Amino acid sequence: MPGCQSMTSTYEGEQHVIAAAQHILKVLGENKSLTDDFRRVLTELDSHLSAMTIITESKRRGFAEVEEQLKCAERKVRRWDSNPSLIWDSGPTEASEYIQAVNEIHTVMETLGGLSMNDHGRPKELAFRAQCVQQIAMSRLEEELYHILVQHKQSFELKNISFPSRVDFVYDESFVSVEDEIINDTSQRDNSGRESNEYTVDLIDPLLIPDIKSIASVMFASGYDREFCEAFIGNRKDALDEHLSNLEIQKLSIDDVLKLEWDALSCEIKKWVWAVKIIIRVYLASEKRFCNQILGDFGSHDSYCFVEISRASIFYLLNFGEAIAMGPYKPEKLFRFLDMYEVLADLHLDMEGLFSEVANAFVMSEFHDLLRRLGDSASATFLNFRNAIALDSSMHPFPRGEIHHLTRYVMNYIKTLTAYCDTLNVLLKDQDVDDPNPVFETDNGQDICTSAFSPMGCHLRSITSALESNLIRRSKLYKDGSLEHIFLMNNIHYMVQKVKGSELRLFFGDEWIRKHNGKLQQHATSYERATWSFVVSLLRDDGRTSLKERCRRFSNAFDDVYKIQTRWCIPDLHLREDLQISTSQKVIPAYRAFLGINSRNGSDKYIKYTSDDMEKMLLDLFAGSSMSLRNSRSNSHKW
Amino acid sequence: MPATENQPSFLGRISIRRNQIIAMDGNHEQELEDLELFQRHIGDRFAELTSPPDNQDSPFSGESFLSISWLRKLVDVLLCCEAEFKAALIMGRDPSQISKPPLDRLLSDYMERAVKALDICNAVTGGVDSIRECQKLAEIVVSALEQKPIGDGQVKRAKKALSALMSASAIDDKENNHPRYAERTWSFGRRGNNSGGNHKDRTNHGSFRSLSMVVAKNWSAAKQIQAMSSNLAVPRGGESTGLVQPVYIMSNVMVFVMWALVAAIPCQERSGLLTHFQIPKQFGWAHAIIGMQEKIGEEWKKEGEERDEKLEEAAAQVAELAEICQRMEEGLVAFTAADQRGVS
Repeated sequence: MPGCQSMTSTYEGEQHVIAAAQHILKVLGENKSLTDDFRRVLTELDSHLSAMTIITESKRRGFAEVEEQLKCAERKVRRWDSNPSLIWDSGPTEASEYIQAVNEIHTVMETLGGLSMNDHGRPKELAFRAQCVQQIAMSRLEEELYHILVQHKQSFELKNISFPSRVDFVYDESFVSVEDEIINDTSQRDNSGRESNEYTVDLIDPLLIPDIKSIASVMFASGYDREFCEAFIGNRKDALDEHLSNLEIQKLSIDDVLKLEWDALSCEIKKWVWAVKIIIRVYLASEKRFCNQILGDFGSHDSYCFVEISRASIFYLLNFGEAIAMGPYKPEKLFRFLDMYEVLADLHLDMEGLFSEVANAFVMSEFHDLLRRLGDSASATFLNFRNAIALDSSMHPFPRGEIHHLTRYVMNYIKTLTAYCDTLNVLLKDQDVDDPNPVFETDNGQDICTSAFSPMGCHLRSITSALESNLIRRSKLYKDGSLEHIFLMNNIHYMVQKVKGSELRLFFGDEWIRKHNGKLQQHATSYERATWSFVVSLLRDDGRTSLKERCRRFSNAFDDVYKIQTRWCIPDLHLREDLQISTSQKVIPAYRAFLGINSRNGSDKYIKYTSDDMEKMLLDLFAGSSMSLRNSRSNSHKW
Repeated sequence: MPATENQPSFLGRISIRRNQIIAMDGNHEQELEDLELFQRHIGDRFAELTSPPDNQDSPFSGESFLSISWLRKLVDVLLCCEAEFKAALIMGRDPSQISKPPLDRLLSDYMERAVKALDICNAVTGGVDSIRECQKLAEIVVSALEQKPIGDGQVKRAKKALSALMSASAIDDKENNHPRYAERTWSFGRRGNNSGGNHKDRTNHGSFRSLSMVVAKNWSAAKQIQAMSSNLAVPRGGESTGLVQPVYIMSNVMVFVMWALVAAIPCQERSGLLTHFQIPKQFGWAHAIIGMQEKIGEEWKKEGEERDEKLEEAAAQVAELAEICQRMEEGLVAFTAADQRGVS
């Protein structure tokens, strides 16, 4: 071994010098004429030289040891040079032996670093060799790290995420149901103090964490911290990208997003809402914990790596939100805006936990911007919706007086909105509203709940009042005044039913329902008056018209009504029956009385229908299909 | 892009004269005067960026041309122009004017350009990230070469980081994707990692990261610039009044600034960028912009070559250093052997 020889030669050289000096001292000491002082100095020198002999001796032994140590470590490192298998796959002994070898190289370098590097020769040469071996080992460790991270990545099955710690449950769309579960894992430590509520999973097999950590330790100790971090970040960034694509998040530019058809866009938004929740609440929380487990002992490297890993993806997710908020405020977008707003508002604390450092303030500010923007878009869309209803118009009357599509749309729309009432109350708080049916506290203490006073309550009542005005406008399009009332009855009844049968009741209050039931009654009365007052009046004996003529006129009028109004439609059976009954109550007694008065005058031959016939015929009204009359006459009619 | 601090407030630099706010519908002379002023402001702002005042503290100093701080100034200028444009467009104007042809179409084109500009800004953010990654690699090279004593190990370390840097800087810039980089690009590319873990090819797994896609996969910065400028027609004589002219000018300013950002910062797919957008020469306000565009074009060409050359040079130097170290080591062995013989 040339190194060994070189060491031996230097040692021998030094020994020669010391021996010569000792010889000189001895000769000098033989001189009898020396003073005591001088003699003492010589003795001291002599003992110094003896000590030096001991020091160089130990140094020699030290070098030999160091060299042996390096040789041994180098052998262990080089052994893997041509070996294609991975060290960490070959077993724990192999791995720990390798780590130990790298540590030894580091120790050798430190020992050599402590010696003077000025003299060229043995220490310097050893240092170079150690450096070389270290570089080989570091490259190797980087590869091993990469492969551990890739191979032991734990798949994150969306349908079946098993949480690492004791609690085992199935993930599905009803993520919310999971939220009450508490995971107790003492290893989850986080500065935010919310550890017990975190939904962390193991992104990497936890058994491998000590291995990764040992690679980190040895690379950091050897001054290869940058290499470790770059490799770590690169790999984890890939894993996150892969996870995003597993969540079916495809990267779209703003331009692409704005060009999507509604169905596709809605689908992307739903995926986004789900992905944002998984990524922020589960994935990134887990990633942060993982970074902390690996790098927590090395200063701020863990938070640096975490931000580098997550930044691009977080920004992508936020940018998608921005793109959505940019689009036009169409009514159908309101629910998606609210979904997006709610998921972000819900993740606010999670985000603060992830990006709490001052250096990450820009991430949080982007997050807050998006939250505000989505909130603004949602309330703008909501207000637009009311205006759109107020402005919606048509030139043509709605067939058969039925429930208008607009009524159905609006009522189902606002019924769905009740699920978002907390959010909407916050968003609509500062929006002025013209509430046509304000609810007063004095009204009826017990059944008025706070929802009726809420901003949402006021806005919903304002929306239905816009709808009512719209319906009244539409009702004027009918040429037949009676149908106008049927149309309004149908629509108001539908509104009342929707309100009564859902959460909407809380927002509208019982007073609103009473008032609208009253409106229904009014329209029923108006209908009866408009249609039947005239028909019944024909029976009256005015002293000028003959009985025969009165019978004929009445029958004709009744037939007309029958023919026309059986085509009208009241889809709600109860409402239809109610109106038929109240009509009967108005018409049949009058008809019976007429028949009773005139039965003695031989009116039978003029009478077309018995009162029973008529009562039955009235039950055909509003069925929505034209009934053939017993003596069918072609009678042109209009609504 | 993340908010940046110490940005001078662009609002402070807008000058909107009071009478501009007063309704001017139909006031032809007033409109012409406003247009004139708008054009002059644009010309002035860009001129200031090209020929900086002789002020040492000025961030516009000559050598910082295309630097990050200079680019920030450029974006700032865009925002100033845009604010003035918006003020002229909206204030005191009858909204019905905007919804009538030809303005309705021109404005919707303008909006589309603005959306594309936002996409470019996002891609540029990704480009800035990739520059930061290159910086990390460069730091490894520097710290390895600064080690004392410098031995073969550290040289190899530097070499490794340097070749990662070279492939990272060439990875998504197709125009500069020299065939000689191609192999390296793949050997360090982090895409296509086979999670199967075939360790035979473990050396092919890059340890360093490269640019991640910020926008869609087949999105191209150069194509966006092309799309933004393709329907940018010079207003004809009849249209040169009213809002047609300001929309045209503002569109040019926006496309130019985006073009400059893409040219200055590595961005997804930039091939053919130089030929994709030309500012028409006949307008007074455009002079400074044209000058700037030419200068950037030259820099871009030069820099592409220079960067390649410099990196190649550095790689060659490191290789040379590696060889010297190798020889030194061999020499040392020979020397100690001789020394050994001499002593014994």
